[in-house]
Amino acid sequence: MLETVKTLRDMPKEEYYVPGHRTCAGCGPALVYRLVAKAAGPNTIFVGPTGCMYVANTSYGCGPWAVPWIHAQITNGGGVASGIEAAYKAMMRKGKYTGERPHAIVMAGDGGSTDIGLQALSGMIYRGHDVLYICYDNESYANTGIQTSPTTPWGAVTTFTPSGPAVPEGKRLWPKDNAQMIAHGHPELKYLATASPAFPVDLFNKVRKGLNAEGPAYLHIQAPCPKGWQFPSNKTIEMAKLALDTGMFQLYELEDGKYKMSYMPKERKPVEEFIKLQGRFKHLKPEHIEKIQNFVDQKVKAIEIEIAALS
Amino acid sequence: MGKKRLISGVVATAEAVRLADVDVITSFPIRPYTGIMSELARMVADGELDAEFIHADGEHAQLSIVYGASAAGARTFTGSSGVGVTYAMEVYSPISGTRLPVHMAIADRTLDPPGDFGSEHTEAESCRDQCWIQGWAATPQEALDLTLLYYRIGEDPRVLLPQYACQDGYFVSHIAGEVEIPDEGQVKEFLPPYKNKHSLNISDPMIIGAQIEPEMGPPLQYQRYIAIQEARKVIAEAYKEFGEIFGRKYSPFVEEYMTDDAEVVIFIQGAHSVTARNVALKLRNHGEKVGVVQLRTLRPFPTEIVRDVLSRFKAVGAVDNSVNYGIAGDGGVLLSEARTALYGLGDKTKTVGFVGGLGGEVITMEEFYKMYAKLKEIAKTGKVERDSYWLPYEL
Repeated sequence: MLETVKTLRDMPKEEYYVPGHRTCAGCGPALVYRLVAKAAGPNTIFVGPTGCMYVANTSYGCGPWAVPWIHAQITNGGGVASGIEAAYKAMMRKGKYTGERPHAIVMAGDGGSTDIGLQALSGMIYRGHDVLYICYDNESYANTGIQTSPTTPWGAVTTFTPSGPAVPEGKRLWPKDNAQMIAHGHPELKYLATASPAFPVDLFNKVRKGLNAEGPAYLHIQAPCPKGWQFPSNKTIEMAKLALDTGMFQLYELEDGKYKMSYMPKERKPVEEFIKLQGRFKHLKPEHIEKIQNFVDQKVKAIEIEIAALS
Repeated sequence: MGKKRLISGVVATAEAVRLADVDVITSFPIRPYTGIMSELARMVADGELDAEFIHADGEHAQLSIVYGASAAGARTFTGSSGVGVTYAMEVYSPISGTRLPVHMAIADRTLDPPGDFGSEHTEAESCRDQCWIQGWAATPQEALDLTLLYYRIGEDPRVLLPQYACQDGYFVSHIAGEVEIPDEGQVKEFLPPYKNKHSLNISDPMIIGAQIEPEMGPPLQYQRYIAIQEARKVIAEAYKEFGEIFGRKYSPFVEEYMTDDAEVVIFIQGAHSVTARNVALKLRNHGEKVGVVQLRTLRPFPTEIVRDVLSRFKAVGAVDNSVNYGIAGDGGVLLSEARTALYGLGDKTKTVGFVGGLGGEVITMEEFYKMYAKLKEIAKTGKVERDSYWLPYEL
C-alpha cells in the first residue's frame, strides 16, 4: 500500500522523473509527470504513448526516467499496459518471476486517451487490468504543433481550427468529457479522479489511490500548455488554478461508487478571467465568451447535481 | 514419441501453443483462424494450459497487448486472418523493431471487398517486409511443427524477431490430417524458456523505444536488416535439431519434389503445393519430367538457395495465391522474387507467373495440368509470350 500524504513536506524526496529532458519552459505535463513518478515510486513501469511526453521528453540519451519506461503508439497505451500487467500476472503464477509485482502506469496525452487511443483505454478498463491510466490533458495535439483534439475547448484556435472571416470563433465543437465517459460505462473500474498541478498534494494522493486500487483506475489531469494555450511560461500553475476557479475544469474523485468533489471554489469566477489571459482565445467576441460561460454553467451544474445525487 | 491424432490445422496449432507453455494469449474473432483461439480457450478453461487469455478489443489491440507482454518477458501468442491481419499493421514494425519474438498464427483469408471467407495469401504477404520471420505450413502437421520451430528461431538471442506462422485458411486450418503430437519432454528439449535481457524489469530499469534523431534511425534499422539475414543460419540449425528430436526432417527453405531430372517445375508455397505434387506424380507416370519446388520460408527469402535450385530447370512457373495489383510482371510475390533470385544468370531458366486459387477457390488438378503444359511449351520453344496468367480467365 502506498500511503497518502497531508502536505508537500510529507512527499518522498526521491525523484523518478529527473532533469535533463527537452520539454518547453513551464510545461504542465512535465510538472504532472514529476509528481506522478514521485507518488508511484521505484516499483513502477511507465507506458508512454506517442505525444508530447514522448517526442519532447523521451529523447534518446536524455530520457528522464529512473524506472522502466516503454514507448507505445499513440493508438495503444491501454493495450500495451494490459500486456505488461497480464505478463506479470502469468509469470508470477507460473513461478517465472519471483519479485514484487510492478505497478503499470500509462501516461497518455488527450489525443492518445480521448481520440485515437480511446478504444485501447476502454478495452483495458473493461477487461479489468490492474493498471493506472493517466491522461495528461493539455487540450491539443501539441507535439505536432497544436492541432485540435477532442478536449480542445470550444472557441480555441489551433492550426486545424484557425479563426477567420468565415469561421470567426475558431473551434466549433464542444469538448469530450472523457472522465465521465470512462466512469459511466466500465463496471470493472476501481477508481477514477480528475486532478490538477494547481493542487499537488491532491494529485499525488490520487495517483497513490489509483495504484492502491486492485484493478483499473483512471486519472484525468489537466495540464496547461504555455505553447498551445499561449500564455507566459511562468503562469502554468496560475492557469491551472483559474481553470478550477472558473469551472472550466472540476476536481473530483469516484471511489467505491461514490463521487466526491475535491475542490469547490467559494465563488466561481467568470470564464472570461481564464480566457483573457490566453492567446488561443484572443479572437473571441463577447457573444462567443457568453456561449462558453453558458456551457460551463451547465456543466458545473450537471457535475454538482450528479455528485450530490450519488454521494 | 508422441501420439497420433486426426486434427485440423487450427487444433494442431493450439496443441503446439500448449506445448510451448505460453504465458499470454490475445484473441479477437475472425474466420478462419478463430478455431485456434476457441481451442486454446477450452484448454485454459479445462486447466490444460496456464496462460492469461485476453479477449482483445480488435487485432490492433491483440498485437499491442503481446507487444507489452513480450517486453515484460512473457512468451506470447496471437493470431488473425484477412482484414484482421491488416488492421494490426501499425504494430508489426514496433514489435520487430523492439526485437520482441512475438508469435502470430495467420490462417489466410482474402482481403475485403467483398466479404469473402476464402483462403488467399494476400493479407499475410502484405506484411512480408515488416522484419518478421514468415513461412507457410501446407498440412496440419506442418502447422504444429512450424509453431514450435518459429518460437525456437524467433527467441534465439541471435535473432530476437517476431514470426508469422502462416497456414492456408480452410485447406489447412479446417481440414483434418494425421498429426503426431510430440510429448512435453521433446518440446522442452527443443524449446528452452524465453529469456530476453532487455525486458521491463524494475531491478534493471531501461527506456525502450526512446525518440531518436534522424541519424540514429538507420543504425537501428541496419541491425534489424542484419538480424533477419543472420536468421537464415539459425533457421537451418533449428530445422536440423527439430529433425533429430522429433524425427520429422524438413528442408528449411525449399522442399523439392520429383525434381531430380525435371525440366519444368512449379514454384509454390502452402497448401496448394499438395495438389501440385499430386499432378506432378501423375505426369511422371506418363513420363513427363516435371516437379514441384515448395517454398517453406518466405522471410528471410532464401535467395541463394532459390537461385541454385530454380536455375537447374528449363522453365519455372511461380504460382501465387495472392493479388498484388500492379506488381512487376503482373503475377505475385513468388514470381517477382524468383525472378530477382535468378537475375544475372542469363536466360537459361524461363519464368512465368500463374495467379490462382483466389477467393478461396481450389487450384484444380486440371489447372495444374494446364500450367505444366504451358511450362512444357515454354521449355520447348524457349519463348515466354507473357509474364503471367490469371487463372482461370487467362489460361
